[in-house]
Amino acid sequence: MNTLVQRFSTTSAQSEINKAKALAADDQDFDDFAWGSEAGFGTIAKGVPTFSLPAVPDPRAFLRLHTDDHADPNCRIKIQHGTTTLAFRFKGGVIVAVDSRATAGSYIASGTVKKVIEINPYLLGTMAGGAADCQFWETYLGMHCRLHELRNRERISVSAASKYLSNLVYNYKGMGLSMGTMICGWDKTGPSVFYVDSDGTRLKGNLFSVGSGSTHAYGVLDQGYHWDLSDEDAQELGRRSIYAAGHRDAYSGNTCNLYHIKEDGWHFIGNYDISKMHYEGPGNVPGSENVGYGYDVRVVGRSSANPPPSAPTPVVAA
Amino acid sequence: MARRYDSRTTIFSPEGKLYQVEYAMEAISHAGTVLGLLAKDGVVLAAEKKVTGKLLDLSATKEGGYGGSGEKIFLLSSNVIGGLAGLTADANSLVNFARTAAQRHLLAYDEDIPVELLAQRLCDMKQGYTQFGGLRPFGVSLLYAGYDPHYQFQLYRSDPSGNYSGWKATCIGANNGTAQSLLKQEYKDDIEVKDAIGLALRTMSKTMDSTTLGSEKCRRSAVEFAVLTLDPVTGKPKAKIYRPAEIDLLLEKEGLAKKDEDTEMKAA
Amino acid sequence: METSFAITGKGYVIVAADTTASRSIIKMKTDEDKVKTLSPHLLMAYSGEPGDTVHFAEYVERNIRLYQIRNLYPLRPSAAAAWIRRALATSLRSRSPYSVNLLVGGYDTASHDPHLYWIDFLGTMTEVPFAAHGYGAYFALSLLDRYHDPEASLEDGLIALKRCIRQVEERLVVTPGKYKVKVVSKDGIQEIDL
Repeated sequence: MNTLVQRFSTTSAQSEINKAKALAADDQDFDDFAWGSEAGFGTIAKGVPTFSLPAVPDPRAFLRLHTDDHADPNCRIKIQHGTTTLAFRFKGGVIVAVDSRATAGSYIASGTVKKVIEINPYLLGTMAGGAADCQFWETYLGMHCRLHELRNRERISVSAASKYLSNLVYNYKGMGLSMGTMICGWDKTGPSVFYVDSDGTRLKGNLFSVGSGSTHAYGVLDQGYHWDLSDEDAQELGRRSIYAAGHRDAYSGNTCNLYHIKEDGWHFIGNYDISKMHYEGPGNVPGSENVGYGYDVRVVGRSSANPPPSAPTPVVAA
Repeated sequence: MARRYDSRTTIFSPEGKLYQVEYAMEAISHAGTVLGLLAKDGVVLAAEKKVTGKLLDLSATKEGGYGGSGEKIFLLSSNVIGGLAGLTADANSLVNFARTAAQRHLLAYDEDIPVELLAQRLCDMKQGYTQFGGLRPFGVSLLYAGYDPHYQFQLYRSDPSGNYSGWKATCIGANNGTAQSLLKQEYKDDIEVKDAIGLALRTMSKTMDSTTLGSEKCRRSAVEFAVLTLDPVTGKPKAKIYRPAEIDLLLEKEGLAKKDEDTEMKAA
Repeated sequence: METSFAITGKGYVIVAADTTASRSIIKMKTDEDKVKTLSPHLLMAYSGEPGDTVHFAEYVERNIRLYQIRNLYPLRPSAAAAWIRRALATSLRSRSPYSVNLLVGGYDTASHDPHLYWIDFLGTMTEVPFAAHGYGAYFALSLLDRYHDPEASLEDGLIALKRCIRQVEERLVVTPGKYKVKVVSKDGIQEIDL
């Protein structure tokens, strides 16, 4: 304490700075609350105010790469832009399948992200766009779903839940929210899927896929989809579609999380490594032949060559 | 009479001849013989190399390059071997040109140059040297033994005028008339490489000045030898230019080897 | 939204391209043939910058023809593709590069097998069993990963092609419309009406 008194006893600005520098060097004299914050003396301690710069040759380009000034001029950190999520409705309920890769620019930030948010035992939300936005608002949605149950003595319908989220994000339109989500569940009307995004769009439908890998997933999903799919076949279709996107889209991959929503709520079916699915298949699971999904694996030994039947022992095919 | 028309390559004589070109061909008919044989499953080249003297040190070239001593037979591309008869210095320049042409084709088309196209490339240049003033034609004839997927195994011959033609069996250099008529008698259309090797060597031994053949030890003349076949594993053409020791082995197998004088003397 | 597909099968390559020629948001023509016959066993689908496409395709066509006249036999598909790729790669570093994406499909009469090459405007080339350019690629490639068969009959190959076209029609905002479809096999080139 004595040193603090000393510091404020002098009026000369220069000596003030000199003393502050000496103080900063002697950490013991700072109270605990000052750690890391420099207790408001940051600029004084260093003598001149400074900016922190990324240690790269061109900090401006670096910042542009890792922020998202397109979606929001306030330059938030760019996150979770590559993703593949899908959900579809069929006679046996709803299949929800997602990948698990998180990217920041060209950097794979994580390979084990949970992109399905378990809102309550009957509702699932998927996550595409900003991870924090999705996590925060879908958990918040979960809170309101529970309040709905307590107030009305019955579970909220999927339609109402998704409408609630849609209205909520619409209030924040233009403020930089980034979400593309499917709210899936089972209610009095049976299985249902709603697509909700941060523009305020809300769509009811049988089949949706969201994210940078969605086109690749659609390619497999659309071709294999029909209403009367068996439970096993539907699960296999979800897995295969996420695999296709994980294989073709650089911003999607790592693993696939698969959920099945039935009348009694959602069930977690499994987590499948996409590389393993490529070479060996998803493992011993119902609906799968347990052979690799990969093109090369599937067509091994098959050839497009068409030598004439009468050809003598091939002289050569150089 | 001819004097007036042979000092430049570009001038025809009154009889319609280009003397310089004809002299170039004449020069080749004194060069070491090179003969080629087209077989069903490959092509064979054999060449006679004049060894100029006992003191010539061949130790550096003996195992160099792609085998052989590299005086008469060269690998022009991975699918073509060339046999050259004529002025060695001119030949080296042509080999360099041929290799460059082959690599340019590989670069442009990602495939080995077709054999005939390579012959054409060289002949275009050779022809140019018979037409444009002040230059001397190349004193070199070539045999091209090669493979391409269009026409499989092929054998071509080109001369200093820039003419080229395809052959089943042919010969350039000294005594080529003798060799050619021998080949005409012995050649069969469905000959295989293993028989073609024997035929080539036998023909060679009959045409050359010495009665017995050798790779290096026989000082007056030696043989170079090469075969182009397909690699049974990859299906790609595989050129083999024999090393001196391998040639001796081959000659022994064919019963054409020269008896070693030294060992004979010791035995005596 | 220009789209082109190519699929190999047992002894053939199918090459298909949409027939729309557009300028900004306007369709200028709806029956444009963007698949060129380069030689008796070689097809090339081209797309990209208007003007560049046709210009480059004709330049390729004439050079391939010249080789055939000079040598009496046409270039093999692999050699032709290598030459075309090099032409694009050379152009990339020139004052005005060609912005053209290509699918080169051919039947090699020497080795009796079909070949397909995917080439982009940067001069990237790769041999593939199936290929696509344009927005169609985003939908068709995963689909073909799942459904393509190297030993498919022509009939089945066309079914796979139709799958791709239908998928793009279903999901792409601006659907290309009609397609020109050609097949090259040992018997040469034939146009197919889907």
